[in-house]
Amino acid sequence: MASINVNELQKSDLPWIIEYDESKCIQCGKCTAACSFNAISPCVEFRKSNSINSPDRKFEKVLVIKQNISLDNYCRGCGMCSNVCPNGAIKAVRNKDDKYSVAYRAQKADSFKKGGRSNLNTEGRTLDKIKIGRISQMTDPSLDAQRHTFELRTPFGRVLKADKLNFDTCGEVLYETTSLPPVSWIYPIIFGDMSIGAVSWRMWEAVAIATAYLNEVMGIPVRMCTGEGGIPTKLLKSRYAKYMILQIASGHFGWNRILKAMPDMTEDPAGIIIKIGQGAKPGDGGLLQASKVARYVQEIRGVPKADLLSPPTHQGLYSIEESVQKMFLSMNAAFNFKVPVAVKVAASVTSVSVYNNLLRDPYNIVGGFFLDGLAAGTGAAHEISLNHTGHPITSKLRDCYLTAVKQGRQGEIPLFAGGGLGQTGSFAADAFKLICLGANGVFTGSMLLETAGCVGSDTGKCNACNTGLCPAGIAAQNDNLVKRLDVDKVAQNIVNYILATDIELKKLMAPIGCSSLPIGRSDALITVDKHISNRLDIQYAC
Amino acid sequence: MTVCKIKTLKNNTRMSTQELLQTISKKIEEGVTDFDIEACGQHDIGGSSWTKSGGSLTFRITNPGQRVGAMAMDGTKIIVEGSAPADVGWLNSGAEITVKGDGGDTSAHCAAGGKIYIGGRTGTRSGALMKHDPKFEPPEFWVLKNTGSFSFEFMSGGIAVICGYDCNELQSVLGNRSCVGMVGGTVYVRGRIYGLASCVETVKLNKFDKDFLKSGMKHFLQNIGRTELEQELLDFSDWCKIVPLPKESKINKITVKEFKAAEWFKDGLFGDLVEDNGEVFSLAQPGKARLRTPVWNKTKCVNCKLCIKNCPQKAIKENYLLIDEKCIGCGICSAVCPVNAWTIS
Repeated sequence: MASINVNELQKSDLPWIIEYDESKCIQCGKCTAACSFNAISPCVEFRKSNSINSPDRKFEKVLVIKQNISLDNYCRGCGMCSNVCPNGAIKAVRNKDDKYSVAYRAQKADSFKKGGRSNLNTEGRTLDKIKIGRISQMTDPSLDAQRHTFELRTPFGRVLKADKLNFDTCGEVLYETTSLPPVSWIYPIIFGDMSIGAVSWRMWEAVAIATAYLNEVMGIPVRMCTGEGGIPTKLLKSRYAKYMILQIASGHFGWNRILKAMPDMTEDPAGIIIKIGQGAKPGDGGLLQASKVARYVQEIRGVPKADLLSPPTHQGLYSIEESVQKMFLSMNAAFNFKVPVAVKVAASVTSVSVYNNLLRDPYNIVGGFFLDGLAAGTGAAHEISLNHTGHPITSKLRDCYLTAVKQGRQGEIPLFAGGGLGQTGSFAADAFKLICLGANGVFTGSMLLETAGCVGSDTGKCNACNTGLCPAGIAAQNDNLVKRLDVDKVAQNIVNYILATDIELKKLMAPIGCSSLPIGRSDALITVDKHISNRLDIQYAC
Repeated sequence: MTVCKIKTLKNNTRMSTQELLQTISKKIEEGVTDFDIEACGQHDIGGSSWTKSGGSLTFRITNPGQRVGAMAMDGTKIIVEGSAPADVGWLNSGAEITVKGDGGDTSAHCAAGGKIYIGGRTGTRSGALMKHDPKFEPPEFWVLKNTGSFSFEFMSGGIAVICGYDCNELQSVLGNRSCVGMVGGTVYVRGRIYGLASCVETVKLNKFDKDFLKSGMKHFLQNIGRTELEQELLDFSDWCKIVPLPKESKINKITVKEFKAAEWFKDGLFGDLVEDNGEVFSLAQPGKARLRTPVWNKTKCVNCKLCIKNCPQKAIKENYLLIDEKCIGCGICSAVCPVNAWTIS
């Protein structure tokens, strides 16, 4: 299959090269059977069978495994072939001279799309340059992380200042003169919004089971955001609805079934998130490629099998003020003003203006501000958006928090931060540092995928979430790939990860002497980077 | 033997802790073994003292400061007339310490030997981190009334007896959140308990427990001068003992799988939308789980049998029919076929 024409796609153009050791191969066929991308095939090679120098030209046919050279069926480096090979005869090796994306554009006249991670260089992340440096030793009570009690819950919903509370007294009885905005106290980790469609039905169900289990068995009140792809009606009508945050994004997918189910709901949902933007591809809308629009996805969303594009903006909204008046009002009204309504935007240079405007919301109907940083993952995006648009989460979260502090209004609209948390292996530390910088909590999708067995990386491994061919069954929509995912195991892994994170959060709270969440306790942080110190207003240390 | 009487307040001038302890030490070197000390809040009285001959030392103390009997040793006997502030018997390694009144916070903190008797109540974190060195007798900590909250935190050995006398008004004779992190030892309790840590359990007394309480109670009550209470306190119907839960029983919650089986939707969340019986496919699993299926074109086949010979799963019959349950969809049949009779997709 070698190219003969130099202008055709070459093996050396591909991002991953298959290294195959035929002396170890027993030709069991498992590697080719396991490859979801059809990137390798068995084939027959002609070889000279006698001495290479012999003038007698004798040939034999040899069965070998070869890499396919194709723009569509190419190796993503997922490693399933190595996993399944009994002898270690095959592996994918990164090609540092990869020219695939050039070849793709040159041949298809289309923008290159991918899924997964941003592929920005993760070295030198801001959060990794911040340490918890203020340790209570003899200054204030030191706590024992394993054995003392800690309060990790955080408010979700509009928090009014004491002087804005509408109370009056009648004799000795205190009563509310008008109803207060809904606020619930939840765990500071929200399972981020991955839609039914972006992830497989098994993955979505595993997250839902983990959420229910953590709440009902472990007493840890995590919430799960549905993503913009609807929610199974039976979940909505069940008692588990109260753990679910419903999302509405610009495509408004799935809301028809939600509305039809409302009269039969026994519980209010945990909240609503109006998704304006996402960190992985700010300014661009949702994208679900047709290959992933399986029959059940079509049904829940009410769409045909086609590329599903959510518009970059909500088409009925033209300003922040109008968003508050229309979108927040409608979503508050949907559940009779009993459910917190938050907004999710991509971190951006303009985030502070948006947050400031929302803080002035006169109706007290803005219940949370979710900021998504550029290191966030996504089911599918144009590579150009994924790799070149966005804003890091840390400084923007800090800006928003400090702008509220300057007005004495911190905590009134809870801030939640997300986007690539745990990228360097320390999810709890990332969460903790963002909380100290002013976040009420964090949200994550990629951590869930990691626990589920995602083989991708931030440096270009796999990242084929957009194809529906996810080899781990996580972002797959091919039935046989989806069924590779063990729902019970994934749900248990997510639960275990949260239990571990819970211990680790306490392990960081205890040394700084906090038995409740240290929201805005930036005095606990130090950095060895002078610029970070200046930008975030935290202590420089060396 | 003469008793050494020390008054620590003379002409409105108070002797410092250092002066007092150095005076006691000097007297012990001179052979004094019996002290009457009118203290004035000095710390550490009666602690870390011993005689060269190995004989006993006795301290009768009034108005001590914190840490009376701290690091006190075998052969030391301490009697406090009235109450004592925090840390009575801190790190006690063998002394018999009696406080006739109340004890302060963290009484018996880290005690690993000897006996501590409190004739009243004790404060918060009493009995925290008590230990038992198996080479020696376990420490004992007896309290007539109750303890403050967080008592017996992180206790890892020894015996405590909380008699719950005069505690009818209290919600808990151990305060709130007692026994957090307790991993060893025994706490005998008489009376109501509230807010006990989840790492321990309350158990009924057995014969050994009752015998221990009977024999120890007499001596305790004699020491604090309340022998008239013996009968009332030895009514075992109000007693229980607290011991740490065995490690394996601490994780007694149901697993996610059990939760799913018992509480989740019977046919799964998407049961009405997709066909899914929950089976998990492995990589390269044969049969319906395979990603690709080969198809044989009879008209092209030249009957060379290369496919049959090369199929690693022996999934092709002599008549070229595919055995679906064996085929993993590897594509070798198609690769070896000289005439493209097999296609795989």
